[in-house]
Amino acid sequence: MHHAYIDKFAYQDSPIHRLDSRAKFIVLLIFTALVVSLPRTSLSILFCYAVGPVAVLVLAKIPLKFVFKQILLVSPFVLVLALSCPIYDKTPVRVAFGPFFLGTTLGWVRCFVILGKFIVTMLALISLVSTTRFGDLLTGLQKLGLPKLLIIQLGFLYRYIFVLIDKVHHILRARNVRRLKNLGFKKELKIAAAMVGSLLIRSIDTAERINIAMQARGFDRTWHSLSKLRIRRCDLLFALIAISFMLGLYFFVKPVF
Amino acid sequence: MHMANELLSVPVAAGTLTIAAAGLGFICRKVRHIITSDRLALMGILGAFIFAAQMVNFQLPAMPGTSGHMVGAVLLAIILGPHAGAIVISSVVVIQCLIFQDGGLLALGCNIINIALVPSYLGYFLYRTVTAGRLSSLKTYIGAMLACVCAIEAGAILVPIQAALSGVLAVPFSTFLITMLGVHFLVGFVEGLITVAVLGYLQQVKPDIVVNRLPGKVRLSGKAVLVTFVVFTFIIGAGLSLLASNKPDGLEWSYAERPNQPDFKNFVFNNDSTIAAVDDFHSKYSPLPDYSIKSPEPEETAGEEAATQAGWTSFAGVLGSLITMAVIWVTAWFLRKKQPVKA
Repeated sequence: MHHAYIDKFAYQDSPIHRLDSRAKFIVLLIFTALVVSLPRTSLSILFCYAVGPVAVLVLAKIPLKFVFKQILLVSPFVLVLALSCPIYDKTPVRVAFGPFFLGTTLGWVRCFVILGKFIVTMLALISLVSTTRFGDLLTGLQKLGLPKLLIIQLGFLYRYIFVLIDKVHHILRARNVRRLKNLGFKKELKIAAAMVGSLLIRSIDTAERINIAMQARGFDRTWHSLSKLRIRRCDLLFALIAISFMLGLYFFVKPVF
Repeated sequence: MHMANELLSVPVAAGTLTIAAAGLGFICRKVRHIITSDRLALMGILGAFIFAAQMVNFQLPAMPGTSGHMVGAVLLAIILGPHAGAIVISSVVVIQCLIFQDGGLLALGCNIINIALVPSYLGYFLYRTVTAGRLSSLKTYIGAMLACVCAIEAGAILVPIQAALSGVLAVPFSTFLITMLGVHFLVGFVEGLITVAVLGYLQQVKPDIVVNRLPGKVRLSGKAVLVTFVVFTFIIGAGLSLLASNKPDGLEWSYAERPNQPDFKNFVFNNDSTIAAVDDFHSKYSPLPDYSIKSPEPEETAGEEAATQAGWTSFAGVLGSLITMAVIWVTAWFLRKKQPVKA
């Protein structure tokens, strides 16, 4: 697995990519809070909210196919809970949509609203993550007041996930090549434990080597980044447009069903 | 199990975010002097190790085709101690949210509490309590099993509670709780087994890496596993049946009231003036009172008219939004097609 497998789009260049990570993060936070606080029965307003993240994604040249694949990948838990709504809530309602009237139950409406909110907030989250380099995001979060220790922890974690995932792929392939049939639970568990254990010992050894290398280069427990974060005029403009779009939708458009 | 944004209400999300942030801030402050700078690299890489270890899967018995993997919170707490373990697992949860989009941004507080803070501290506490005194392999076995099952169950209990407090789902509280407990009992049991097995491996290969060293010999015997499984099943089963037979408790009652009245204003009775003011503000600005659900048998034509109007509004909203998105996309597509010619 290459380093740029998941967040390959974060390294592109576009007006959205060049925005300050703090502005994007705060806008995302407000957006998510507003969408989540929408009433549990209004579906159509979610489409209006979706315009925002879709515009950002298109401007940033992120392929929408990738985005929806990513959403599908993380959906099972929400899907199960949303689909359980129609089973428990059978209050009949009539939904009016344009010229059509539809008789259904409140459970189905809730189910679709949960799924709709899920998709819209995920669109927003992906449009932050795939337009911001993780290092810049961390620098921004540090300036917003996250503890230094946590920032360093996240930075290291991000840097080495892909290294260790590569290693575990080697180990898994080695097991698959040697194991020709299911060996029974006890043996399987033992093998898995040995794999995890050896991976743990290897990562501790790696950590020691990295630590020595860092100490030699004068590591002083702070997270440094080459990119200087400055709030420029276009960042303010972006925040202004985004926030007025959201608040305008929230306060002036009456959510109907 | 990762909580999602959509299953939470904003107050619950804000509350849990505050608790999680305060907890993490407190831990970071507290361990600043304990965690020397040569532990920082170790902690970071062990976070990455958790990701990798979660990819090591193994076949589960009795359920062909399913495979389990470890979660790792308790193992890490045993190896690194609870504070460092909690920070590492929290960072794993944050990365899962930001890079892999697992669990939402608002649900981050819940996830940090359910997956990182509670299991790390509870698991470590149980493990240390059981293994206190003279070290023996039986104690380690019981300690690790108990720690894993209880830690994961505790995290799992919190999910339905948070969902019920938010009132988004229509699933009855006890059903959700029992399902979560049942599923996570199995998860916790498998987690306990693999944790014990990994501790056994480490004890053979590199016994000095655990904070408080391991006893002479840790091993898994089939009989012990069977006995543990029976005992745990008995305890959890008894607990669940008690829970199922009980009259609905307060939480469930408050929750069960809600599906019939989507604006659950009378959920909290409080005569405090601030609450009243907030309520007032809420009813004024919240779009909730305006939603238009129509009863199935429309008696009044006025209601029918309003419904028709609402239907047209929503139709216009959806259509307009879709058209806007399409226009944005097509424009961008045209511009992009032009660009290589220019370059």
